[in-house]
Formats: sequence, C-alpha cells, structure tokens
Amino acid sequence: MLALQLLVTGVVTGCSLGVVAISFSLIYATTKIFHVAHAGIYTLGGYLAWSLVVYGAPVLVAAIVAIAACAALGALIQSQLYARLEYRRATHLVVLIASLGALAVMQNIIAAIYTPNILQFPIEWSRRMVSLGAVRLNYTQILTIFTSVAAYVGTMLFAHRTILGKRIRAVASNPMLADITRLQPQTVYIYVIAIASALVCLPGILVPLDLGLQPYNGVTPLLTATIAMIAGGVGSITGAFVLSVAIAVVQNLSLLVMPGEWSIGVTFFIFVVFMLFRPTGLFTAR
Amino acid sequence: MRRIRIGSAALAAGLIVICAQASAETIRFGGILPLTGPGALIGTAEMRGVQFAVDQANAKGGIGGNKVEVQFEDNQAKPDQSILSFNKLTDLQHVSVIFTGYSGPTLAMAPLATRKKVLLVNAGAQADALEKASPYLINTLPTIGGEIEVLSKYLTGEGKKKAGVLFENGAAGMAGRDDYLKYFPEAGGTILAQEASQFGQTDFRPALLKIADAKPDVMLVVITAGLLQMAQEYRQLDLKFGVAGTTFFADPSVIADPSAAGFVHTQLQIDAPPDLAAQFKEKYGADMEFFAKQYYNAAQIVLTTLDKVVADKKPVTGEAMHDTLLQIRKFQGLIPLEFKTNTASVPMDINVMKDGKDVLLKEMKLQ
Amino acid sequence: MDFLFSYIVFAEIYVLLGLSTNLLVGIVGIFSVSQAAVFGVGAYLVAHFLMAADPLSFIPSLAIAALCCVALNILVTLPSLRVSGDYFVVTSFGIQLLATAVFTNWAEGTGGANGLPGIPPPDVFGLPIETTAQYVWLCTGAVLLGCLCFYLIMRAPFGRLLRAIREDEMAVAAAGKNVLRAKVSAAALAGAFAGTAGGLYATFLSFIDPSSFDLDASILLLTMVVVGGARTLAGSIIGPFLLLALPQLLTLVEIPTTVAAAARQLIYGLLLILFMLFRPQGLAGERL
Repeated sequence: MLALQLLVTGVVTGCSLGVVAISFSLIYATTKIFHVAHAGIYTLGGYLAWSLVVYGAPVLVAAIVAIAACAALGALIQSQLYARLEYRRATHLVVLIASLGALAVMQNIIAAIYTPNILQFPIEWSRRMVSLGAVRLNYTQILTIFTSVAAYVGTMLFAHRTILGKRIRAVASNPMLADITRLQPQTVYIYVIAIASALVCLPGILVPLDLGLQPYNGVTPLLTATIAMIAGGVGSITGAFVLSVAIAVVQNLSLLVMPGEWSIGVTFFIFVVFMLFRPTGLFTAR
Repeated sequence: MRRIRIGSAALAAGLIVICAQASAETIRFGGILPLTGPGALIGTAEMRGVQFAVDQANAKGGIGGNKVEVQFEDNQAKPDQSILSFNKLTDLQHVSVIFTGYSGPTLAMAPLATRKKVLLVNAGAQADALEKASPYLINTLPTIGGEIEVLSKYLTGEGKKKAGVLFENGAAGMAGRDDYLKYFPEAGGTILAQEASQFGQTDFRPALLKIADAKPDVMLVVITAGLLQMAQEYRQLDLKFGVAGTTFFADPSVIADPSAAGFVHTQLQIDAPPDLAAQFKEKYGADMEFFAKQYYNAAQIVLTTLDKVVADKKPVTGEAMHDTLLQIRKFQGLIPLEFKTNTASVPMDINVMKDGKDVLLKEMKLQ
Repeated sequence: MDFLFSYIVFAEIYVLLGLSTNLLVGIVGIFSVSQAAVFGVGAYLVAHFLMAADPLSFIPSLAIAALCCVALNILVTLPSLRVSGDYFVVTSFGIQLLATAVFTNWAEGTGGANGLPGIPPPDVFGLPIETTAQYVWLCTGAVLLGCLCFYLIMRAPFGRLLRAIREDEMAVAAAGKNVLRAKVSAAALAGAFAGTAGGLYATFLSFIDPSSFDLDASILLLTMVVVGGARTLAGSIIGPFLLLALPQLLTLVEIPTTVAAAARQLIYGLLLILFMLFRPQGLAGERL
C-alpha cells in the first residue's frame, strides 16, 4: 500500500542523507567550518565513478578510486584554502564565502566538462527490482541502506575505539588545549576532512546510481543534511543519522496529505520554527 | 576609481570593435537560448539546429550573395538576462531576427519585440500565452493546448477515461496541466489526481505512487527533464496504468529504453532526411533530436524569408522580415507548415514506443 | 543606446540591493543568502498593486512594498539574533528556499512558475516612465537617494554604533547600548532598500517570475558585496556595476559559447575564493 511504500522509500533516501549528515557533522564539529563545498565533493564523487565505469573499469575499482580522489580533494581544500584563511585569522563569514566560491567552481567545472545533461550509470544490475511484500525496491536502494548503516556503524567505531578517532574528538572538544598538548589540530583537520570526503563519496555514487547524475544536485541534500545535523545536535553522529532518516520519512509521508511541491518548503519551515524554539537540537552530545 | 576608468575604457574599446565588424557584408541574426543551467540540454540542441542550417546556407554561397551569421547569447532561461541580451543584440548588432526558446524568457521579450519591431522566432516553447504575446512573435509549432486537445480526444476514444496528471512545476508544465484540466473533461474524461515535480528533480517515485493510489486508467505527463528516470521508476514500481504525453516524449534515450514500452504520445510531424541527420551527428557528435530539428526547420523558414526580402531589394529590417514571412505563409522546411496566424498549423500523429522505436499509431490532423 | 541604458538600470537596481546586503552582511555581520527573497517580495507586491482591479499608482505601491519588506526583514533576521552565526546560515538558506517554494507554488498570488506578465510601466506623480532613457533617470534618482541615506546614516551616531557592534558586541552591550534594537533597525533599513529595488525591477522588466529571486540571485548579491567591498558606499556601487559587466565583457573574448556560459559561473566562484584569500575587503571596502 501507498503509505508503506512511501515509508520505505523515505528510509532509503534518509539513509543516504544520513551519511551526508554524518560526514558534514564530523567536519563541522571538529573544525567549526561550515564547509558548503562538501556538496561539490558529493557531486564530484559520482561523476568520477561514472567516468571510470564508462571507460570500462569494474564498479568496485571505480568506487574505490573515486573515494580516494574525494578524500584527496577534501584534504586539498582544507590545507590550501581553509588553513591559509585560518592563518590570516579570517572571520567565519570569510571562510563561508570562500567555501561557497569553491562549491561554485566545482559545480561549474563538472557542468562544463560533462554538460548539464542527466547522465546514467551504465550498470544493468542497479535497476533490477525486488518485491518484499507490498513494497518494491531496486538493488541500488537496498545497497544504499546496507552501505549507509555500515558507514554509520563504522564511523561510530572509528570515533570511539580508534586512536585517531579519539584524537579527533579531543581536538573537537577543545582546540586550544589540543594545540598546546601537541595534538596538532591542523593535521587533525586534514584527516577529518579527508575521511569525511571519502564518506560522502558513498552516497555521492549510490544516489546517482539510482536517480541519475546532474551537476547542480548537491546543494539540496547538503542543506537537508545540515538541518538533520543541527536538529539532532551538533557533535552527535547518531543524532545526525537518525534525524536524517526521520526527515526523509516525514517528507515522503507528508505527500499523503499535501501536494508534492510543498514538501521541501515544509521541511525548511519546520526547521526555521525549530531554530526559534529549540536551537540546541534534540540529542545534544555534551 | 582608477580601476573603474580602466574597466569602462576596455568596455568602450570592445564596443567600437563590435560596431566596426557590423558594417561588413554579413547579415546578422540573434539567438537567445539557455546555454547553461537546467535548460542547457535543450538550449544547446536548439542552437545547433540553427547553426547547422545557417552553415549549410553559407556553404552554398549565402543568401543572395550575403553571408549569414547568428550571434548566440546565453540567458540561462532567465527573463532578465533575456532582456539584456535582447537589447544588446538589437542595439549593437542591429539584428532583425532573434531565435528564442522557453516560454518564460519569450514572454518577457515579447513586448520589447513589438516595440522595437524585431522578429522573434520561437520553435520550442509551447505555453498557450505565446499565441497572443506579440504580433512580432512567430511560433513555428502549435502551443501545447493544441496537442493536448488532440491527445485527450484520442485517449477517451480508446476508453481511457480516468486520468492522473504528472506535471513539471514550471511555465510549460503548468500550462500543460491547465490544458489537461480543460480538454480531458471536455473529451469526456475525468482527472482524478495531479502531482507536481520540480524542474531538474529526478525522484518521481512519491508522485508516481500518489497517482497510482487514485487508480487511473492513464497518467498524463508534462515534464521536460528527467523523462528517462521517470520511465524507469514507473517500470520498477510495476504500475498498471498507461502513460501518455505530448511531443516532449520524443527523446531518443527514452524511446530506446525498454522501460518506455507502451508510452503513447502526440508527435508533431517533423523529420530530417537520414543523410542530413548523419551530417549533423558527424558535426556535433549528438543525434539530431526534436529540438535540433525544430530549430533547423525554423532557421530554414527565416532563410527562405530572407531570400525573398533580399530578392525584393528591401532593407533587412525586422518589419520587412515579419511582413514577408506572413506574406509567404506556406513553407516547406523539414515539414510543410502554414502560418494562418502567428502560430503555425502543423499536422501531428499519435505514436507509441515499441521495441526501442517510436511507431506511428494514428494520424490526426489539426484544424 | 538602449543596451547601455538597460545595463545602467540593472546595475542601479543591484546597487540598491548591494546597499541592502552590505548593511546586513557587511555592517551588522549577519550572513544572509535570503536577500533575493525580500527583493522578490517587493517585486511581487508592487506588481500586485499596479495590476489590481483598483490599481494604485507607482509611488504609493512602492511605499507599501518597502514597508512590508521592512517588516519581513525584521521577521527574517529575528532568528539570527537568537541563534549563533553558523546556525543562522542554514536558517537563511531555508528562508530563501521557502520563499522560492512560495513564489513557485502559490499560483493565485504570484502567478506561480508562469510568472506575472504585463506589469504596467510606472509613473512618478503623473509623469509616465516608458522609455529606457526615462528609466535611467528614475533609477538614478532612486539610487542617489539611497546612497545619501546610507552615507548619512553611517556618519550619524547610529552608524558608529553599528560599527562598534561589529568590532566588539559585548563591550557595546556592557556599555548599556541596546544591541538588539540597533541590529533590528539596520535589518529594517536593508529591507526598505530591497523592497524598493524589487518595485523598480518589476516595472522595468514588465514580467517577473521566481527564477529572478532564487538562491543563485542571493549568491550573486553576496559576490557583488564581497568583490565591491564590504561596509562601504563605494563598494556597494562598484560591485554591481563590475559584476554585471562581466558577462558582457566575456562575450568580447573568443570562447565557444557553451564553455563561455559555464565559464562565467566559474569566474564568480573563483572571484569569491581569490578575494577571500587575498583581499577580503574587496576592491573598495573594509575588512569583512
């Protein structure tokens, strides 16, 4: 039935959104930079993987290369742009505008090289359907759910069990102290953005695998993901992931009662109300 | 302050260069189309169609011995960019004819075309408002209302009386939706549901599911981007109703995809002879699809008109081009068409997609 | 000549918007990507009044629209005052996207995605403004008025207060000044500028649709302020004139058309990065 199918589709969208939210949250909680260029890396990952597949590479290889490239690009932006700005003691506003500029550059390079046409991955199995009772999903959607949950679990384990993860959390909670105690925040920032960029490449490939590639399609998911991050509580990985799924499900289910064109507007309206009455989010970490 | 002076000196120098070029023996036309942004796919095809026709004419020695050149401006499908480009082309290049596409920008430029007496040629936009927008606006294809009227009669004739509408939330989509709401009931059917999608969005599943919930016989579609994704998602969800649309459906990638089997649509008759299509493909690396053909056709109409204006020894002004075009009335470009009003009457077919090809189902004539 | 005049008219309208954005972003320090939304509201309101069954004439319509935009801007910037800078970024994006959704979907009020064609030309107390040349006079007048306003305010104690707030908000509050009221007043003024620009835009184009008031437009405004220079009058004028000339200058260079079009967007992005890295005060501004 309709509601169930909408719910499940919402869960799928929410999962990919969740990974975007987690990755963005990692960056924001640690570096305090509102890295809007993240949307550009998300988009780029998909296009890189597509190029490799079209030139004959097996899917897994294409994915790995794309992920590595995204990590490298993220690290580059941090070390060449943000680090320089931090060195000059630029205000948040300046860094934000620079990030916006980086996003525009990435999106338009992609648009210039690949044209604005909607491109499709030439991968046949991605579109095969599976019926689970009253609900129909394709392979890509199922893969998205598994990959996203795995990414969430992986990130949680990384943050709480590994040394690098703990170092990152230490820097995030007190950058000044970290500087003095030789935790080297600047290096940590590079690691964080690299890891986050690698993470965001996953939905960057999976979502276009299902829906097609377009150069300018990164901004809306990023914004929805940041809403999830803030509503879930900055610094809480679980909060970001759970809220992403929640928002996607609510957006889909809202179609039962209202016309489709308003659903994104409603999401942002709810967020604005949230900001007025509960700006610290639901799952505040500390 | 110094920087401003240098900047305006550069601008002035550039303007002088352009004006100097204009005095050579070339006839200049303009084209204001979306070359970036979501409309760029169609805009680029339209530009190529015009350029292809003009290049061919120039290769044969031009029109009456004069070379023809078209200056294209990118308007990103935005009305304000279009106005700036319109003024630029008319003031600096003194063009007499401007090719346009997309309903919004065309409607914005229409009053200017009337005032400055420049012939505006549209071969792609189909909003109904374009019929009356300006006496200087020529539409070489019928508005979407014309196609929808025919489609509605056909569908109800085949027993499909209950419908849901999937439309794009833009000028073309909304015009189509309003037309469906008007003509489908007139033809004896009922509209049970309507769902909107955003221009450029490719996740149609929620909208498809909602329409499915109303249990229609057929889904009437007006979207210009993302049709292939919609077809695939429709097939994946295993939906049971038929799918129908207008000439917007004629996208080669959609026709070739098995997901679109059984899709029915009106098709404005336009075709390119195979060797022409092959030359186009060789030159641009892309198939000569609907919009490229439309604009090639429109360019041919304009060139034929230009030929007569030059032969009659009249100055090439917008007024002369406009009057002569309407005087000639009947044209044979890629297809025969006639301008009884500013908007051409073109015969159309009903096609169905089958086995990767677009196949004729029934021929319908326009009144 | 018409081409030059229409360029000047657009540039002047964007100067008004530049003043508005500069007030909010440069002087008060609120990162706003929703100025295009307020611009749009001003445009739609004026269009509505001019085309109503019982039409108002231009100046009264403009006045009402400006007042509404003042109220709107106050409402829109209130969240920023409760929420720290970064959260407000998302709120600002959200407000802009919400506004675009309303413009596109509320067909009865705004014509929806089809837009509003046929907006009548304005008249200044009975004198009709129809040719582009006359428009230049009207807009130049409006801009001069706006610049004068801006200049006087910045010289007045209120301007000094705003600058002080930017330097050290807590010190100002500790000194007993009402920071909230100052910020809200600045936002209100910014709204008035944006609303007036909207009215001029709607009547000049005689056709408006949601695509002129979307996120891209807000980003362009931000770029103008950044490049021209933050917080100064000169910056608000240089930015728009320069950035509007850019696409026209690009067409003078021999680049294939499709690449040139994407190149323009790319250049805006590069400009933002380069200016932020090497000259954050813009061409004629103070440090952001």
